Amino acid sequence: MKSKAKKDVLNEEQKLKWIGKSVKRIDGPEKVTGEQKYKTDYSYSNMVWGKVLRAKYPFAKIKSIDTVKAEAHPDVICVLTYKDIPGFNGFGIVTPDQPVLCEDVVRCTADAVALVAAETVEAADEALDLIEVDYEVLEPVTDVENAMLQGAPKLHKDGNIHSHVTIKNGDIDAGFDEADYIFEHTFYSPRQMHAFIETEGGWGRMEEDGSLVIECPGQYGHRDKLQIARALALNPERIHVYSSPNGGGFGGKDEITVQIYLALLAMNTGGRPVKIHLSREESVIAGIKRHPFKVTVKTGAKKDGTLVANKVRAVADTGAYASLGGAVIALAIEHASGPYTIPNVDMEGFCVYTNNGIAGAFRGFGVNQVCVGIETHIDMLAEKTGLDPIEIRKKNAYKQGDISSLGHVVKSSVGTIETLDKAAACDLWKNRDYYKNQVSEPWKKRGVAVATSFHGVGMGIGTPDYGAATIELLQDGKFKVGVAIEEIGTGNGTVYAQVAAECLKCDINRIVVVQGDTKQTLDSGTISASRSTYTGGRAIATAAPNMINLLTEEAANLLGVSVSEIELAYDRLVDAHDHTRFVTYEEIYESLHDKHRSKRVEGHFYLPKEKEELKNSGGAPHHLYGYMTHVVLVEVDTLTGQTDVIKVVAIPDVGKVLNPQGLEGQTEGGAVMGIGYTLYEDVLIEDGYHKTKNFTDYIIPTIRETPEIETIPVESNEESGPFGAKGIAEVVMIPIIPAIMSAIYDATGARVYHLPATPERVYQAIQESKPQSLISR
Amino acid sequence: MKTIRFTVNGNEVAVSSPPTKPLLDVLREELDLTGSKECCGKGECGSCTVMINGSSVCSCLVLVGQVENETVITAEGVGLAQNMDVLQQAFIDEGATQCGYCTPGFIVSAKSFLNQIEHVPTEEEVKTALGGNLCRCTGYTKIIKAVQSAAKLSITQQGVKN
Ligand code: FES
Ligand code: FES
Repeated sequence: MKSKAKKDVLNEEQKLKWIGKSVKRIDGPEKVTGEQKYKTDYSYSNMVWGKVLRAKYPFAKIKSIDTVKAEAHPDVICVLTYKDIPGFNGFGIVTPDQPVLCEDVVRCTADAVALVAAETVEAADEALDLIEVDYEVLEPVTDVENAMLQGAPKLHKDGNIHSHVTIKNGDIDAGFDEADYIFEHTFYSPRQMHAFIETEGGWGRMEEDGSLVIECPGQYGHRDKLQIARALALNPERIHVYSSPNGGGFGGKDEITVQIYLALLAMNTGGRPVKIHLSREESVIAGIKRHPFKVTVKTGAKKDGTLVANKVRAVADTGAYASLGGAVIALAIEHASGPYTIPNVDMEGFCVYTNNGIAGAFRGFGVNQVCVGIETHIDMLAEKTGLDPIEIRKKNAYKQGDISSLGHVVKSSVGTIETLDKAAACDLWKNRDYYKNQVSEPWKKRGVAVATSFHGVGMGIGTPDYGAATIELLQDGKFKVGVAIEEIGTGNGTVYAQVAAECLKCDINRIVVVQGDTKQTLDSGTISASRSTYTGGRAIATAAPNMINLLTEEAANLLGVSVSEIELAYDRLVDAHDHTRFVTYEEIYESLHDKHRSKRVEGHFYLPKEKEELKNSGGAPHHLYGYMTHVVLVEVDTLTGQTDVIKVVAIPDVGKVLNPQGLEGQTEGGAVMGIGYTLYEDVLIEDGYHKTKNFTDYIIPTIRETPEIETIPVESNEESGPFGAKGIAEVVMIPIIPAIMSAIYDATGARVYHLPATPERVYQAIQESKPQSLISR
Repeated sequence: MKTIRFTVNGNEVAVSSPPTKPLLDVLREELDLTGSKECCGKGECGSCTVMINGSSVCSCLVLVGQVENETVITAEGVGLAQNMDVLQQAFIDEGATQCGYCTPGFIVSAKSFLNQIEHVPTEEEVKTALGGNLCRCTGYTKIIKAVQSAAKLSITQQGVKN
């Protein structure tokens, strides 16, 4: 039954009206005119301002908190501390180890100690100054390796190692014994900031019926609701979270940001709505960041280019709290040997607490940090053996049905080899010598390099992973499609409309999409893990036949024929024998309405999982992966070390492309974010204090740094996906990282192992790579 | 508190405000023009960009007292959904908006730039004109295309009119 339906879809591919087309964003007009209201754009009369008192020190005991003076401020409405939390004083997606408001210890400067609501922002700021916290300052733990030592001060009662994951396959020693070449290097990665343009903020307010409303951008409103309910000891049914649209997320709004603060304040302002909107400076300190990693990789290979062994040790700095750190290090280790068939691997990862802010989910989720090891070593192998770097990757890449480096049979679609073939055939690679010669100044040097990687779609084994969609027929003959998964910029709402219109055979203007609304939509999981197109799309495709049944039955009633004689035509239902006889959706609505029948259907979907979890891996392997190859051209100024990325060729395998323009939006945005990661971005923390404050000293790529980006998609058909689609949003920023690193080497002969590859680091590496006789004067 | 009069998007307004309040806050809080966003508050990101007498400026750095009797245009003033400017339409057609939070600022900067030229700008020219606007989603490629295609379209339309 199921497989026949699939075949029908494929046979009809030529006839697809919305899928595979660059349908314009359905929310485009309000975005380009400024009419779209983000949560902090709302206003309510009678409002009050909320502010958060953050910890003064990165590590300290709290001896006392005195709020008397603050409360006496004439414009202050309330001052709240841990004592005012009715429920559980903690949050965190997996391990709720972060206090909502600290009681006896602060572990980083992001920690919240008190909340204030006041008539004006100025009064709220004054009140923060009036709160007296007596601290006993402790020596901060800032280095991951030191944090792991026996005698290190413990941040949490179980010690500083939050998690330890391992994946072993084959015989690592035998693998290195058979290797002709062995490469071993240690790589350091930056504390990248999401730098969404919309900082965290929103509203908390009480409805007249006593329910609590939180309007705050987020990446999983249904889960935010549960975390709020736990802290406030409220019935989740009495909390409504509106979490869409987001002014960018990238993982940074996956965890609770200010939702619980808003909720606490809203319950203490006598019914007045409260607004919090973090300044950029506060967002830099309070927001989660990408985990900085120290990764040591040892790779063994044979003369013919066969990879035979890979040993990895990765240590991630999760800062003071876990958030998704355990899952990040697990995904990192799952991906640390690349999309290859290395028979002997021994990989382990540690997620470690320090007093360095907080790290959590971020586009790529650990894979960015580890992919540099294996990819750099493959390029070194190519240089040593004289083999072509693309050929080495192809030789080692697994295909669908092969056994991966993890030792599992990969059952879903795999496009690595096709992406590498397209890379080999692209203009930039074929004519790389030509491009390398086009230097803009004689002291600049150019390099071209390629890298490939992959990224799991959806959650690992053991984590709930489901999608749900509702479709409701409206009075005006439109369909309201509800998928909780938020809009964070990716355009998933447009894809949902495409899938719905395609399945329901109607005009896309008939589709109204509702997202990020816990009242109107069913829990459908997060907007993360490259899962939203795949999961939401499948859920809609599952709900659509139920709607078609509903429509067909009612049409048969109205036309006085049997159900089998009704055909779904474009925008109407017709009598199969006489196409002049038809009913419209409006008529069906009216008829159902008169009979007091429901006009709403549901569709549910569970993401396919592997049956057997690799022991101690923290959820590996995934069933489904997206694959990607990047080719880049860089130009390095040898006098300053400054690197510019000139051209990027992005070759993703994301299954069937549902919206080519949306796909390019991802490959282009991902490439530029990958450039920022590799060349500029790092939140600097010294002794637990943020040295980075704002965009004045945190440099993200501007339009001037944007290279020419070409996207060449490979369309493997993923049988399980909606119309053959997989996921895209993360892998787009991954292989570009090692590709830029190798292109710098190709240009200058210097390798940078510590990212970002700032001008200073590149310059230094160039100096060190010069033969001694040249540098000694 | 002082009453300050100026023109916003063609309408004369009078707001009662301390003259030292940032123009951005007045637009958002007093006039409900929330297209202009605060992202850095430091003149670094351009998401608060408005035109004052035709030139694009960061409204987070302008005090409302400074625009007394001046003319301010925000993204909403460039066009609303019912009557979008060619530039706004081009942003949609080219896919130049994703989360959209930066977009109003880009629209104003690009509009002010296009108002000053009568040719289709080169990529370099667009990059110079929009160098002060940050976008974290798009990678900018489609923004460059949108500005160029809007310029092309306005020139053709003007050609038709003349
Ligand atoms: S908010 Fe004005 S430039 Fe950033
Ligand atoms: S579209 Fe999201 S920041 Fe530009």
